[in-house]
Amino acid sequence: MRAGPATLSMSAALGLLYVFLYGPIGYVIYTSFAVDIVWPFPPSFTLQAYVDLFSSSLYSEALTNSLTLATGAAVISTLLAAAGAIGILRFRSRYRTAALLIFIAPLFVADLLIGISVLAFNARVLGLPGNLFSAMAANAIQGTAFGFLIILAQLVRYNWDMDDAAMVFGAKPLRCFFEITLPTIWPSLFGAFLISFILAFNNLEISFYTLGAIPTLPSVAWGSLRFGLGAELFALAALVNGFVFLVFAVMYLLMRLGIVRFGYRGG
Amino acid sequence: MNGMSLRAASRRRPGLRFAALVAPGALFIVIGLMLPLLAIVVFSFWRTESYELYADWSLDNYRTLLGEAAYRTFFLRSLVTAILVTVICLVCGWPVAYFIARHGGRYRLLLVLLLAAPFFTGVILRIAALQGLLGPVGLINMGLTMVGLPPIEALMYTKLAAGLGLVYLFIPFMVTAIYLSLVNFNFELLEVAKINGARPWRAFIEITWPLNWIGTAIGMILVFIPCLANAVTPRFLGGPEATSLGMSLAGQFGETGTWALGSAMGVFLFAVSLLAIFCIAPTIRLKRSGFTGTSLT
Repeated sequence: MRAGPATLSMSAALGLLYVFLYGPIGYVIYTSFAVDIVWPFPPSFTLQAYVDLFSSSLYSEALTNSLTLATGAAVISTLLAAAGAIGILRFRSRYRTAALLIFIAPLFVADLLIGISVLAFNARVLGLPGNLFSAMAANAIQGTAFGFLIILAQLVRYNWDMDDAAMVFGAKPLRCFFEITLPTIWPSLFGAFLISFILAFNNLEISFYTLGAIPTLPSVAWGSLRFGLGAELFALAALVNGFVFLVFAVMYLLMRLGIVRFGYRGG
Repeated sequence: MNGMSLRAASRRRPGLRFAALVAPGALFIVIGLMLPLLAIVVFSFWRTESYELYADWSLDNYRTLLGEAAYRTFFLRSLVTAILVTVICLVCGWPVAYFIARHGGRYRLLLVLLLAAPFFTGVILRIAALQGLLGPVGLINMGLTMVGLPPIEALMYTKLAAGLGLVYLFIPFMVTAIYLSLVNFNFELLEVAKINGARPWRAFIEITWPLNWIGTAIGMILVFIPCLANAVTPRFLGGPEATSLGMSLAGQFGETGTWALGSAMGVFLFAVSLLAIFCIAPTIRLKRSGFTGTSLT
């Protein structure tokens, strides 16, 4: 198909958006190698930030906490969202609309509000100090809603007759899920997991209020702002981005070679 | 109840299996989200004194909130910013989402994930980097100075810079929401319109736009609400003229420790968010969405 002017300008818009989104990230990566992070021009490079990063225990602790928090939140979110989306799409019930509304409700509450209300509830009602589990749960609330939306959007076209057929031939619901449903829907579960992981990994406003004194990457960034951002943070962000792009490159190769299709069923 | 009879019972009653699948998530959200929100509604009627909450019921916090000119300014500023940012994200997000859904082919998922990947870099670092590009000692202005041009003052610690920061942070939500609607849209409808003589623009306005309104509406809400409550962006990019209600709210729970007034601000922001949702929700008709052809009505 030949691309018309409309298609070309839309692809230009996509390109510009990527430039806009990745400009600052490129700047972070560039600056992580610079001698002076406030005004890193003309270019003069050093690996000092990376040396400092690996010799400090604060950053590895923050990274571990961020990873734990994000993994926990993403697992909770994906399980709850997948069960909810399948339940709502597959089974008739008069509570369907109500359930749908509850599942998407967290999308409509700002991070800051989730953060302060969970803080107020934990501190004054439950008498709990900030901890990793309540932060995990608070992040998972939002993750569940986003995951639900993603899974629902991909699953509305799923043909449940296949499952019914398997059940007619005597498959138990669990076996049916693992052998029929999961192989078809896993890309959407993967998407939900990834999005809730990403959102929780670097969430500032929910985590800040629910974690207390436990350091995560965003709270360390927040704390160090007072003295100016440390070059180590830039270095860490550069490493995280490097890893993410590596994963994307692998995904691209897998798709290119047709090994994994990630749910794409076109020609 | 043993497995067999449970299965028999659930086959007869799909409601049971619906409940088994839906209840865990729904309960989790009700307990984890609604109860804390209820708590701040209660606290908003209380009183704080030297960092302690006292259960003296009154409307004082709301009186302060609505009565003081500063808070009114903060709120109006947040509201106008949120509306403008939403419109900008909408206009810039649609072509991108359309392109990915229609022409992304097998790389669609990858293209969408590329929109989410910036979130791996924390908000603060990204904003610091934007500051590094836009600020007085930023790349753009220093570059202009170096070639002998005056710096763009509009980008240095202004409301414009704060707004640009918000677009930067939230446009991925808009694109993703529209995209999720478009992947369920049957593009063959456009071919039908073309065969029947509709020009591309007419087909867009009469078919694509209304049938994907649900994605657009959700995207608008997803951008509007966090922008309305945003505290971080104006703080670092906006300078003294950009104090938002969210910044003030964060301050009540931070430095000043006046939790009751902060709760009232939270409730107020939440009420405005609900109002926005109630304005837009009636315009969504699931039957006229990309989700047509399924049982979800």
